[in-house]
Amino acid sequence: MITRTDRAPLIPPSRWVGYLLAFALIVAAPLVLGTPYWRGILVVCAMNVLLALSLNLVLGYTGQLNLGQSAFFAIGAYVSVILVRSHGWNFWLAMVAASAAAGMAGLLLAAFAVRLRGHYLGIASLGFAVITYQVLVNWEGVTEGVRGIYGIMPPPPIKLPGLPEISFGNSLALFWLVGGIAFAVYWMLDNLVRSPVGETLRALREDEVSAASLGINAARWKAFAFGLASTIAGLAGCFYPGFVGTLVPDAFNIVESFTMLAMVIVGGMGSMIGPVIGAVVLTFLPELLRSAGELRLMIYGIALTLVVLFMPGGILQLVQIVRARLSRRAGAGASR
Amino acid sequence: MNDLATLLVQQSINGVYLGCLYVMVALGLTLIYGVMNQINFAHADFVTVGAFTAFFVATRFATKVLGLGDAAAYLVSIFVALGAGAVLGLLVNALVFAPLRERGDELRPLIATIGISVLLENGQLALFGPIPFQFDSPFAKETIRFGRIFFTGQSVLVVVVSMLAIGALYAFMKFTFTGKALRAVSQDRETAGLMGINPDFLIGLTIVIASAMAGMAGALIGPVLVLTPFAGATVIVKAFAIVIIGGFGNIEGTILAGILVGIIEAFTVQYLGSGLIDLVVFVLLLVMLVVRPTGLIAERREENV
Repeated sequence: MITRTDRAPLIPPSRWVGYLLAFALIVAAPLVLGTPYWRGILVVCAMNVLLALSLNLVLGYTGQLNLGQSAFFAIGAYVSVILVRSHGWNFWLAMVAASAAAGMAGLLLAAFAVRLRGHYLGIASLGFAVITYQVLVNWEGVTEGVRGIYGIMPPPPIKLPGLPEISFGNSLALFWLVGGIAFAVYWMLDNLVRSPVGETLRALREDEVSAASLGINAARWKAFAFGLASTIAGLAGCFYPGFVGTLVPDAFNIVESFTMLAMVIVGGMGSMIGPVIGAVVLTFLPELLRSAGELRLMIYGIALTLVVLFMPGGILQLVQIVRARLSRRAGAGASR
Repeated sequence: MNDLATLLVQQSINGVYLGCLYVMVALGLTLIYGVMNQINFAHADFVTVGAFTAFFVATRFATKVLGLGDAAAYLVSIFVALGAGAVLGLLVNALVFAPLRERGDELRPLIATIGISVLLENGQLALFGPIPFQFDSPFAKETIRFGRIFFTGQSVLVVVVSMLAIGALYAFMKFTFTGKALRAVSQDRETAGLMGINPDFLIGLTIVIASAMAGMAGALIGPVLVLTPFAGATVIVKAFAIVIIGGFGNIEGTILAGILVGIIEAFTVQYLGSGLIDLVVFVLLLVMLVVRPTGLIAERREENV
């Protein structure tokens, strides 16, 4: 029997430093970027981090091409808003229900993933997103169709005994809420991918037949990955309408799925921190290019293509190359 | 002829007309997929570029500079659009697909073409602005009548031109040596290379042919579309569905599926309303994937299902 004593400790201290830094960054970011505009971008950024993390679980760790992640984001957003507005639910309860609904939809897509591979699954998931979008447009009795739903309230304030009321009407508290959730999800997934479950998913990614010969039930674990990933995307969706105030189907166009895909690839697929970097960069890049006016999205498109062409491992690869070079230089200095 | 039969015939004609346009777009996707297992997401924007090229050639250059009549100008513009598509294909192959090919990765070229798509859409937005252009085909005014069935000269032109293009492509793939070499590359690139076939050249050629067809489709479809920089996107999603329904990389299947989707679309508009077209097509796609994932015409390819 193999014992764990010969391995590194379960959680090395360097990871705790990383967690603490990330936590400090989430606390400090909206205080440094003090204007409401930039705080709003931060909220969007936190949602994008959640979406990129969710897609990465399916794409990066389980190796399933999913071009329809926007569908689950949409389901989370619409279900939470409809439950609160039309059925008078409490927001937090509706949030749980909406995430679960997105998760169930994810299981439905997983049923296709059991039979299809590669681009076939990609187009099936794209079709799934198109159908979701069309249902939002056409089911006017429930979703209001292209007219959209207006005047959506942010999450209700939280009253804790002995503390001032926390209101989510301003983007500062909302960012801390969504950023905190993104932090928690990251923590959970980080532990998950290091666990035997993570190794199971990676085994599926590398070779499904070999994995099956080791007794891994591919259908069950794909369902797990899709279910969990779409629950997270649905959770991100719950905060979107309250932040923007309106809800229209166009916010969940299939192009949104491609943006999420780009975040995962540009950051570095199949690592935990890569998609986070990708989400942050691709959220802020278009904003920083705002002075370029009409050329802004052209530059964005060129940048996306160039990153893929010259940095196949994403931005994370660049970081690793720089770090390797620095350490080599440090090593050379020490030996002298 | 009674009313129902007239309606059925009329809608079938409309369906075949639409179907021909879809086949032109979808064939390019399926060709590219066949030879190199890649999806080109910018394919839709090649259609848009083709449509804009045709628009400016037909309404400005050919009529004002060359002094051609409206009909001749439109016919010239179809060929110029074809050329524009071919040039785009050449560029995308040289800049994106060729450098990424050797790495044997299916995701990164996909993302790179999404980048190209964003670039082309926003480049055209900067050039032409967001206001839709009115692209009138001179053939759309002529109505041809058989009893109670109507169709426009434009639909006849579309069907004839696309049938010719599709037929030429089919004959090229089936009967010429280059076509045979191309099919060899799509079956097994390495073995084809060992037989003295230059796969890089043939893959490049395929992309150029596929893109030229997209450009040409743009010229034909332009008068039907609301011509904005994002017009191609409405067609491409359906083209993806057609490619899957027909079986990825399968030319006969794609032609059949394209016509079928066109007819289904025409009847959906008639009986359910135009808002439900995408819904019907994609539900069909998902059903198809469950029932017959190899596509309408099954090929001896097993790794995808």
